[in-house]
Amino acid sequence: MNPYSIYQAIDKLVKSLAAVGAVYEPLLLGAAAVLLLAAVLPQTERWRGWFLAGMLAVLMAGEAMLAWFHWRLWGLAVVHDPSTGMLTGHVAVPLWVESEKLFVWALMAAALGTVMVRHRRALLPGVMFITSVLVAGAALLGKPFTQPVPQFFSQYIGYLQAMSNGGQTAMGAFQGMEGSRQFYYNAWYMWVHPPLLFLSYGCFAISFVATLLMIASRHSSYETTAYRWARLGYLPLTFGMLIGFPWALAAWTGESWWWSGKVNMSLMMWLLYTGVLHARLYLRRAGMWKWVAALGVLSFLILVLTYITTYVVPGAHSYAFLPAEQTLHALTATWTRGGS
Amino acid sequence: MQSTDVRRRNWDFVLTLITVALLASLGVQSFAGTIYVWWAQATIPNWEQTSYTGYIALMNLVAAPQLVALVAVMGLCVPKRIFSRKLLVAVSIAMVGVGVAAWLARGSVATGVSVYLGLAGLIQLAVVLLTAAGVAGPSYLTEGRLTKLGSGLLHLGFIIFGIVVAALQHSAFMLPVFWTATVLMTVGTAMSFYASRLAVRHVEPAEHPIAF
Repeated sequence: MNPYSIYQAIDKLVKSLAAVGAVYEPLLLGAAAVLLLAAVLPQTERWRGWFLAGMLAVLMAGEAMLAWFHWRLWGLAVVHDPSTGMLTGHVAVPLWVESEKLFVWALMAAALGTVMVRHRRALLPGVMFITSVLVAGAALLGKPFTQPVPQFFSQYIGYLQAMSNGGQTAMGAFQGMEGSRQFYYNAWYMWVHPPLLFLSYGCFAISFVATLLMIASRHSSYETTAYRWARLGYLPLTFGMLIGFPWALAAWTGESWWWSGKVNMSLMMWLLYTGVLHARLYLRRAGMWKWVAALGVLSFLILVLTYITTYVVPGAHSYAFLPAEQTLHALTATWTRGGS
Repeated sequence: MQSTDVRRRNWDFVLTLITVALLASLGVQSFAGTIYVWWAQATIPNWEQTSYTGYIALMNLVAAPQLVALVAVMGLCVPKRIFSRKLLVAVSIAMVGVGVAAWLARGSVATGVSVYLGLAGLIQLAVVLLTAAGVAGPSYLTEGRLTKLGSGLLHLGFIIFGIVVAALQHSAFMLPVFWTATVLMTVGTAMSFYASRLAVRHVEPAEHPIAF
């Protein structure tokens, strides 16, 4: 396949997903609204677990569509060395990057909320509320079906254009694309690190709801629940963050990643959750409840801020300052106008 | 005997408070760093090219004493039944002194921190071995041998990870030492969280109303 025919096949694939997404994303929004109502209305109390399970089913159907899309994309997105014409490999875009992040977080929250047992009834409204906010965010801001992985397409379509032009431009674009393929998209780290973090985020969301219940009811049983979810989240968070270190050293050589905005916020989140787990050792001491509760709430707020930082504060980790015009549609328009 | 227990509990509590305060302090530094990066990127032209190295050096310099203090608190916390408190404080101060001397001798903060962490790692390794052997020496805030061993392992892993960051980033030993630290921290954390599931006797925590 030549670059233009690859582009055409990808364009067709993206349009197929977008056609489904045009129906599915409004459906997601509607499902989020229904879930929110079910979390609030007392009449639905007996059925809340089913509402959340229903949302999980909707999200899993969407994830299956995304998996199909990524599988097809892997088949199409190939990288060739322009100097030899040899195939260096396929690009395996992970299912939890860019526009898909909020969707995966929502999926994790719904899955964990569906299987949680302890204090299930009391926790469900809060977990449903958080899940509905995440689902609405995924549908309105992420748009993983109608605008899938825009940063990847920005780079890959640019690479295809350069390849069709040939010369030094092609070599430069190839080096950039091959670097991204090896150190980012196809790196084992990118297939392990984000899901671990989203698993921990899901656990921390439930821990946060239990902490709020502890503050409201002033009973330590909710603290035990909050602690159990926090420790479950702390493990994948710690492991997921640690494995980032050697990867960053290799992939971001010469880039400004150490003490960058996202790294700082992630570190702060980890430090705060470490602080919560240490402080609760003295839970029965007078006044420590307030500190543990305050640290628990603060930690979750910092978690949310850490997520937002990716899109606001520039750095190696960041999607901030990505030129808005560098989307698939814009590149498509450029290529179509310029011919091939 | 009772007053000794009360004093020990208060000492443990103070050390825990200092640990949480240091974690919070490092957190505040991280937050301030984020705000600064955001501001600098938006207002200083070519900030990454012109001022990023200076920013990193300053952040490392501010973080180094906090990291040393955190590890010092760890060193004071666990082996206090083996040694007297006075001796532990003296050993900790001497270790910091050796670290500072290394810093001044080589002119590098990273060297000083690495030397200090190396010494702290040796003490922590001894604590882990004593705990594993079941010697009634090390003192922990948690109960159960597996929990204590997990706590010792994760703290040892934390110190080794500190050494990787401070000294081994460009070394051929970086990856094996890093994975050792990662396994110690992950397995140690899992053991200290879930040791009760492996224990023969299970003790459920008592739940009670909270007096705010």
